[in-house]
Amino acid sequence: MLKAAIALKSERRKSQEFLRSFLLILLFAAVSASSALARERLVLGLQMEPPILDPTAAAAAPINEVVYGNVFEGLVRFGRDGSPEPALAESWEISPDGLTYLFHLREGVRFHDGSRFDAETARFALQRVSATGSTNPQKVELAAIQAIDAVDELTLRLRLQRRSSSLLQTLGGGALVMVAPASAAGNALHPVGTGPYRYSGWRRGDAVELERNRDYWGSPARVPRVVFKFIGEAAAAYAALMAGDIDAFPNYPAPENLAQFKADPRFSVFVGTTEGETILSINNRKGPLANVLVRRAIAHALDRQAIVDGAMYGYGEPIGSHFPPGRPGYVDMSGLYPHDEAKARQLLAEAGYADGFALTLKLPPPPYARRSGEIVAAQLGRVGIRVSIENVEWAQWMEQVFTRHDFDLSIVNHAEPFDYVIYGRDDYYFGYSNPLFKQLLANLEDANSVLERTAVLQQIQQRIAEDAVNGFLFQYPKLGVWDMRLKGMHVGGVVDNNFVADAWFDEADPVGAARQKSAPPWKSSLSGAMVAWSSLILVIGLAWRYLGTAMVLRRVAILAVTLVLASAVVFIALQIAPGDPARYMLGLNAPPEAVEALRHQLGLDSSPGQRYARWIADLAQGDFGTSYTYRVPVGTLIAERLQVSLPLAVYALFLAVIIALPLGLIAATRYNRPADTILSSLNQIGIALPNFWLGILLVMIFAIALRWTSAGGFPGWDGGFWLAIKALTLPAIALAVPQAAILARVLRSSIVEALPEEYMRTARAKGLSHGRAILRHAFPNALIPVLTILGMQFSFLLAGAVIIENVFYLPGLGRLVFQAISQRDLIVVQSVVLLMVFAVVSVSFLVDLTYGLVDPRLRHGGRAR
Amino acid sequence: MSRESSGAPEVGRSLTFRLGAGLTLLFIFTAFLSLFWTPFDPAAMAIADKLQTPSLRHWLGTDHLGRDVLSSIMAGAQTSLGVALVAVSVGLLGGVPLGLWAAARHGWVDEIVMRTNDLIFAFPALLLAILITAALGPGAMNAVTAIGIFNIPVFARVTRAAALALWQRDFILAARVAAKGDVRISVEHVLPNLLGTLIVQATIQFSLGILAEAGLSYVGLGAQPPTPSWGRMLSEAQTLTVLAPNLALFPGLALTMTVLGLNLLGDGVRDWLDPRLRETRRS
Repeated sequence: MLKAAIALKSERRKSQEFLRSFLLILLFAAVSASSALARERLVLGLQMEPPILDPTAAAAAPINEVVYGNVFEGLVRFGRDGSPEPALAESWEISPDGLTYLFHLREGVRFHDGSRFDAETARFALQRVSATGSTNPQKVELAAIQAIDAVDELTLRLRLQRRSSSLLQTLGGGALVMVAPASAAGNALHPVGTGPYRYSGWRRGDAVELERNRDYWGSPARVPRVVFKFIGEAAAAYAALMAGDIDAFPNYPAPENLAQFKADPRFSVFVGTTEGETILSINNRKGPLANVLVRRAIAHALDRQAIVDGAMYGYGEPIGSHFPPGRPGYVDMSGLYPHDEAKARQLLAEAGYADGFALTLKLPPPPYARRSGEIVAAQLGRVGIRVSIENVEWAQWMEQVFTRHDFDLSIVNHAEPFDYVIYGRDDYYFGYSNPLFKQLLANLEDANSVLERTAVLQQIQQRIAEDAVNGFLFQYPKLGVWDMRLKGMHVGGVVDNNFVADAWFDEADPVGAARQKSAPPWKSSLSGAMVAWSSLILVIGLAWRYLGTAMVLRRVAILAVTLVLASAVVFIALQIAPGDPARYMLGLNAPPEAVEALRHQLGLDSSPGQRYARWIADLAQGDFGTSYTYRVPVGTLIAERLQVSLPLAVYALFLAVIIALPLGLIAATRYNRPADTILSSLNQIGIALPNFWLGILLVMIFAIALRWTSAGGFPGWDGGFWLAIKALTLPAIALAVPQAAILARVLRSSIVEALPEEYMRTARAKGLSHGRAILRHAFPNALIPVLTILGMQFSFLLAGAVIIENVFYLPGLGRLVFQAISQRDLIVVQSVVLLMVFAVVSVSFLVDLTYGLVDPRLRHGGRAR
Repeated sequence: MSRESSGAPEVGRSLTFRLGAGLTLLFIFTAFLSLFWTPFDPAAMAIADKLQTPSLRHWLGTDHLGRDVLSSIMAGAQTSLGVALVAVSVGLLGGVPLGLWAAARHGWVDEIVMRTNDLIFAFPALLLAILITAALGPGAMNAVTAIGIFNIPVFARVTRAAALALWQRDFILAARVAAKGDVRISVEHVLPNLLGTLIVQATIQFSLGILAEAGLSYVGLGAQPPTPSWGRMLSEAQTLTVLAPNLALFPGLALTMTVLGLNLLGDGVRDWLDPRLRETRRS
């Protein structure tokens, strides 16, 4: 561009001085605009996508990771050391008896929709938590509150029935943020808070986007737009950081890669601690495990440092009780049961299990659990406890371990702050029940000074450790990786959130400018449905023309019967599947009434028959229902995912045909000659290649070694057509190669079969060359088997890309089903599967129809095959 | 079934067949060997020795928990072989009788069998497998069930198509004249003549079964730890591709070679049977 400007200068005469400087200014403006653009968007990677964005309706750490502090604020927030500090409440007074709290609220605070925040709003927000039907996960924590009054416009008074020394920290929790009466109901899909960022869009399965709130009461955020991108797999997270698709991954899931990031000058690595105690939970109700000697034996058998080294690559601090090291009141109990196998065996013998016994260990999906689990199983095996591992999905974990208490051991990270209170709940999944401990909890609430409180907190930790309630493994580390230039990130803390308002980029980022095209939130369009309907009409029209009425009616009838049967099969299969979506959504600490309330909201409390009938009735009206987890129409979800799956399938099929046609033709024309032999061998290898392995290899070569493309993810079509095509290229190749090999083989053998036919001899006799004869005569005749295979492949590509979508982290239909199954979002699973069945049956219909087009003899009632 | 070498190439001579049989035998041998011996205990962890590159001690290196990769691959062969074997058996035992029945009876029996097949076929295979494992829980046995169920209509179709052709033949007519019932004819005359076709189809389904098991394990729905599985090794290796590319390389190679071997074997057998089939077509 500079060259152009110089050239411009030499060409222009003095009289055009004005024009020249004008152009230079434009040029300058363009350059500065592009560098400003580079700092305009911050992309954060998160491991889990929140189901909804309302932290007051469901407990899910992923909700807080996006909205806490950014979109929503509470009266109180937590300082760096974990103590409460002012947020929307500027200050507060506590009466000497500890029963009255007076909050002085900040002036001039407005919600994103312009409505004012005052004492009346605060009263509404808090009262809503305790209302009947509320699914607020912190509901029980407000039980001590007797009355909430707005004293004046900016003064809120809470009166308590009994002292509650935890009240301030409770108010800082993610589920007690301030919401407005007008917008509270819609916060699940469109959160409206008071924070420095406002909600701007959500592409489900991919990203949530926030934009700067210009009317923020505090100092405004520095980066105008923030994108939270959801990348579940560690490998995809790694690839996305390496490719620069994301600027930061605050909870980086793969500790094994940290050393590399540390060595790489482009990144800074943050290692801190979280509120999460990773524990080997023990079912205290069950058989030998009810015996404290056995639990102590388990504690002695665990080599925590080996677990931290093996599962977490050395990150994470070994713990001895349920309390985060370094927080006020912490006492180190990790030396109580040193790793000592002899001692463990001795304790087991004392308990009457000298010969050991067998246990199962149910492991949820995260890598920390699966990896620690394998090591724990091996360590317990060394003292005679035979552990069999059972890997479960989160939904199954919720159902079996958490709800039905059907487990011996499990490993899970208890991420909630101040969650030692769960040891006071008899119905909690690990089943610890000790009146002494409950007394300690009561003492804690009643504590009237920090000193007194600290003393009780220490007793709490000691009690838990002495009873060896669970095997305490390590404090989960906060591992963040981000771009060197990104400064001012506040991550972690008591509520594990990512506060981005102070973040900024240190220098202009010319490389990043290219990928800064900000994608507007995806808008649902009807064009897809239009295309679908018009092609359907076209197909039926053609079918009528070529196949005749009887044939069409028969096919339509088969289609209808297949769909009805398939819908029943799917529905029944999913009824057998264990897991409760409401439980899944509300998280670990949700009170049972909240779960019941949500089940009712979702209509899950009606009978299976009623639900099936409703589903089918809605389907008949073109309504796919509403997703349990996302709470948006399933049709919208499917339409979004089809934008990835359909182009991917078409692209892969296109590549397969492009590769297969010449290969098949060449092999056939050189039948039984060296070229044919070589091609056929290559073909054999192509067919044998598992597509997901090919995908991994392609990522290793083109994304990691050569860095030509990113290793995964999908930028969306709004980001630019070619960018999207580029993102689909590796997956399409991985899908296409094995299919191309099959196709080429079918083509070759059908042409070869045609070679000895009479018409080929005639063609040669009339002077056509061998190659031409094949192209003109054998090839068209070989098309029918090829078309049959193509049809089958298309359905396979559309539906069977699940695994490839996992390899490349594409938000396609397959991943939607997969994710919905693990979240027990049954209605999504049902509808997508049915849609796929519909697609398969329609495609085979379509293929039958094209036989007619390819082979005129088959028209009018004739049938191929 | 007796076979004279009437012009057909000797089966042992075809390179395709030999290569395929060799690879397949290697696979089966490895699976059996691993029952008795592997260089290391595939489940034994040695965290201090994790992520080693191939060496004389660990020929294919070690994984993220210090387990020997060669031993895991050998033991993984067991899982693959077991799952695929059972899945093919389920398909054969379920599908062949159905196909024979449909071919013998025609009419509504045929129609019901074939429409049920169509129904199962209407579900994309992998999706069906995922649904089944979602309902029953992940694990090698459920993967077997999922893959096996999908094999039933495959074998039913192949059997029915081939059997229908046989029912037109003179020797069947002769058997009918001899007043043999449908069942006897199907078992005594139709089935033996189907063996070749079924063997070829079985090798295809076998290799597809191995691929499906690996795929399900890759997404976490197949064999569960500590049962070694190639697919799970690949998914575990994926985060480590930069640190230890060999981890993603060797299980994939083992998988590809095994599938290649089975496919070649199937082709070899078919080439061997083909001349005879052509002969019968002419007669």
